[in-house]
Amino acid sequence: MTDLDLTQPARLDLEDVSVGYNGKTILQNLTFQVPHGHRVAVVGPNGAGKSTLFKALVGLLPLRSGKIHIHGQPLGRHHDCVAYVPQRSEIDWRFPVTVEDVVMMGRYGHTGWMRAPSRTDRAIVRRCMEQMGIADLASHPIGDLSGGQQQRVFLARALAQEPHILLMDEPFTGVDATTLETALNLLDDLRTRSVTVLVSTHDLTMAAQRFDEVLLLNRRLIAYGAPEEVFQAENIRTAFGGQALTIDGVIVTDQCCPGEEEHFHLHPGGQR
Amino acid sequence: MMQWFLAPLGYTFMQRGLLAALIVGVVCAVIGSYVVLRSMAYLGDALAHAILPGVAVAYLMGGNLTLGALVAAILVALGIGALSRQGTIKEDTAIGILFAAALSLGVALISSIRSYAVDLSHILFGNVLGVSDKDLILTALLGAVILLTILLLYRPFLVLSFDPVLATTLRLPRELLRNLLLVLLALAIVVSLQTVGVGLVAAMLVTPAATAYLLARRLPAMMALAALFGALSSVTGMYASYYLNVASGAAIVLTATAFFLLAFFLAPRKGVLWGWVHRLRRSD
Repeated sequence: MTDLDLTQPARLDLEDVSVGYNGKTILQNLTFQVPHGHRVAVVGPNGAGKSTLFKALVGLLPLRSGKIHIHGQPLGRHHDCVAYVPQRSEIDWRFPVTVEDVVMMGRYGHTGWMRAPSRTDRAIVRRCMEQMGIADLASHPIGDLSGGQQQRVFLARALAQEPHILLMDEPFTGVDATTLETALNLLDDLRTRSVTVLVSTHDLTMAAQRFDEVLLLNRRLIAYGAPEEVFQAENIRTAFGGQALTIDGVIVTDQCCPGEEEHFHLHPGGQR
Repeated sequence: MMQWFLAPLGYTFMQRGLLAALIVGVVCAVIGSYVVLRSMAYLGDALAHAILPGVAVAYLMGGNLTLGALVAAILVALGIGALSRQGTIKEDTAIGILFAAALSLGVALISSIRSYAVDLSHILFGNVLGVSDKDLILTALLGAVILLTILLLYRPFLVLSFDPVLATTLRLPRELLRNLLLVLLALAIVVSLQTVGVGLVAAMLVTPAATAYLLARRLPAMMALAALFGALSSVTGMYASYYLNVASGAAIVLTATAFFLLAFFLAPRKGVLWGWVHRLRRSD
């Protein structure tokens, strides 16, 4: 890993960032900082721009305005320091690659694009697969896996990238118990390794219990800070509007259909 | 039996033809793996037809026909990339427009040349027995360039084809790689012109690679198997053409199709027969 300057307080800086696509602005004037090694839950109603934020952070969507700095340097300067696990990877599950091949792709940024993987790369890939509980599937084609297993392959690949910042879009939505547990253990493990983590989630309880900070979004920044500061009735109502109810002092949000539908793609014949 | 194999090799035009067909079979099959995985079959076919005006212009100017084809193919490949880049029109629409325009230009130019009929049929259907030493050297050189590039850029092309999102987050130059792949495809098509002709190039690109796709679990294995099927089809087709007196390009493509059909029915896991057996077992 390159020039990690631990004396610098803010590792991820957003300054007045606006993002959009197809002529629409989705996120407006976002300004916040995430300190090194912190865990941030990104929370907000459907269509709040959680996925859009992540896509902007990895360079998938151009910025309308504003600046993003990582380690005090503009986006794109650190080639392999941000890893991103999309909500559901839009890939062809029938592509002839094995689980190990996919996890190894996480190493390409480190190894170089022309060189064969070293022994260290192989060891890292093996360790990441073991940590995600998919080591015994290493030589299986990815099309043979269940949805949860596929999700863990992509978590393992992100881990193999050895990122400074890890972005996970809805890793807890619609997964089986094993995958949920693995993902939660991963969060704890990343904390001991001081990796900055941003996770979008619909589970407000989990956001409150498992994260250092909560970022409450709805097309703009509603609140950002420690969970108990952010989860105030007023903030929730501002963010969720009609989707929030207060029952006996407990706030309930109506999120019966999590996930932004346009990101969900079924691949015919892919899940054999 | 030995005599049966050796007899055609007594003619130098057969030796050259066999070598050219082998190179084309292998090169097309390897780059064809990306054509199949990235759904570029239509693009390959279009590129092949778009070569005609280049050939016609080269003929009118008395230049090298292969060189003319090469320039035309690369121009059209990059043109398709440029037209569809902004996302204002979809790629297959861009292909349709440029493909028809280039083909029409080619036909218009060629119809103005009276004596061109024979050469034209060679371009459409190939003339592998007319391969000269110079052609053979050019074919081998271009083939080597294509294979070497694919080998060297295996990882970038793999990531670009498998997961464009990862390619972006790893800051791969996606546009550059996409255009490079188009140029390599154009080169492969030009190389195949003399063997199978414009009309059948797409089959050389797609059929052996699709056969390998049914049998392989990993991309390197798919490429190797595709190359094997490409080579086998070329050699079998050439012998069939010699002994049965049929057009060589057609014989090569028909052999490749036979291999594909075998794999389609009999391939382990992905074959049709496999699926039937699996279903029967489950219903027991």
